[in-house]
Amino acid sequence: MSGGVRGGGVKRLALRLLFAVALPVLLVAAWWFASAGSTDVYWPPLRTILTTFPDVWTAERLRDDVLPSLLRLLAGYVSAAVVGIALGTVIGSYRRVRAVCEPVLEFLRAVPPPVLVPVIMLFAGIGHTMKIAVIASGCVWPILLNTVEGVRAVDSVMSETARSYGITGAARLRHVVLRSASPQIFAGLRQALSIGIILMVISEMSASSNGLGFTIVQFQRTFAIPDMWTGILVLGLLGFLLSVVFQLVERRVLGWYHGLRASSRRS
Amino acid sequence: MDGLLSVSGLRKVYEGSGRRVEAIRDLTFTVDAGELVCLVGPSGCGKTTLLKCMAGLLTPTSGEVLLEGRPVSGPPPGMAVVFQEYGRSLFPWMRVRENVELPLKQKPLTKERRRELVADALDSVGLGDAAGAYPWQLSGGMQQRVAIARALAYEPDVLLMDEPFAAVDAQTRADLEDLVRGLWRDRGITILFVTHDIDEAVYLGERVLVLSASPTVVQEQLKVDLPAERDQLRTRVAPRFAELRTHVYEQIQAAKRGVAGA
Repeated sequence: MSGGVRGGGVKRLALRLLFAVALPVLLVAAWWFASAGSTDVYWPPLRTILTTFPDVWTAERLRDDVLPSLLRLLAGYVSAAVVGIALGTVIGSYRRVRAVCEPVLEFLRAVPPPVLVPVIMLFAGIGHTMKIAVIASGCVWPILLNTVEGVRAVDSVMSETARSYGITGAARLRHVVLRSASPQIFAGLRQALSIGIILMVISEMSASSNGLGFTIVQFQRTFAIPDMWTGILVLGLLGFLLSVVFQLVERRVLGWYHGLRASSRRS
Repeated sequence: MDGLLSVSGLRKVYEGSGRRVEAIRDLTFTVDAGELVCLVGPSGCGKTTLLKCMAGLLTPTSGEVLLEGRPVSGPPPGMAVVFQEYGRSLFPWMRVRENVELPLKQKPLTKERRRELVADALDSVGLGDAAGAYPWQLSGGMQQRVAIARALAYEPDVLLMDEPFAAVDAQTRADLEDLVRGLWRDRGITILFVTHDIDEAVYLGERVLVLSASPTVVQEQLKVDLPAERDQLRTRVAPRFAELRTHVYEQIQAAKRGVAGA
């Protein structure tokens, strides 16, 4: 009996895995065959791209280009998260502050972050600071606005419960307000992650001496077209990997929220 | 003499967008230490407003609430509230144990003492095994038990309950009523129980305060002279129970028509 159940579990897992990889495999196969006979310089066969891959992405290159990119992304993303959540909590907690800030925030959010690259370059030069500032300035908006929404939506009964039990100040912030807003905050963090990756590349394309964006542009300018394509593959894989890591963290922190939603769907 | 909790001349007027609503006109009553008092009144009579004023969550327009002789100006440490909406009053991101423990962390207690209080409170509501569960994994009745355990662990002088069983089914409700009676008798705590259900008020209370319709005054105070040992089956069919509930019912009907207490 239990053997049968376990067999069913394995089967279900295999089926899920099949569903997950079916489309990627199909797309890669389509790319492979469509490009197989290509003689176009800009559109090399996938075969050529894949054979170039290990030559281009050596340990040295990972250290000199991928690592700096990732570190800048991390620095920008984390500072955006800290600033966004802190400011968002203040704005979300006080109606007056919100009334004053909201129009400005809506305006700033509407400015496309890549436009800020030349502006920030004026102030912060072309070093690490500029790139981190560009990433942070783009990532901060979804985090900030989602935190504001999450914080202001704290349930009134929960708020009163906390007050009646003397849970105030830092304890209230930590155990009630931020936890209650965490699903919204994570929605903002998720949006910010994809914005951060885009800005990481863009900031390196304008003025840089290393990094993924710099490398890809460099390959393109020197007509190393298959190498350029491998760079795009690396970026795609990187984005995918970061999103998997994000999901793992989210599942851990918001486990209660998914459980709560599933239980209210059942009833 | 002054009771443990005394409300005198309480008045609450809501002012909003050109409309003045007088929810409570003039309420005066006391609750003595160790009493179980039920407040019953027609729906919309400002029961929740009154409760929030007593809990220090709302500031009355005039009059005052005294707890052990000290005026209540914010949530007093000697008071715990059990709200009707258990689903919104328990924190879904915390396990049952953490929900009960969180208020205790605001008090100067050792970790061991906190653990003791939590375990004891959960045991006394029959949820010793559910400490590691999340509230949303429990039924409605069990969730309200958690809220009661949280209030008990807080060791309040007065326990305020705001229509706590209005949202659970009839059988669970009967169980919870007996739980409250049992806790009151075993622990000697003071309970003020707000309800709109006349039967519940008479079954639970040692004393019933009947409120008038809004703007609210005390319509009548009634001593419930039923035996201390109460039973869902026998007490509810006792002739005295029927008399009392008929009396309270008439008072509430009179209150709705706006007739002063007899």
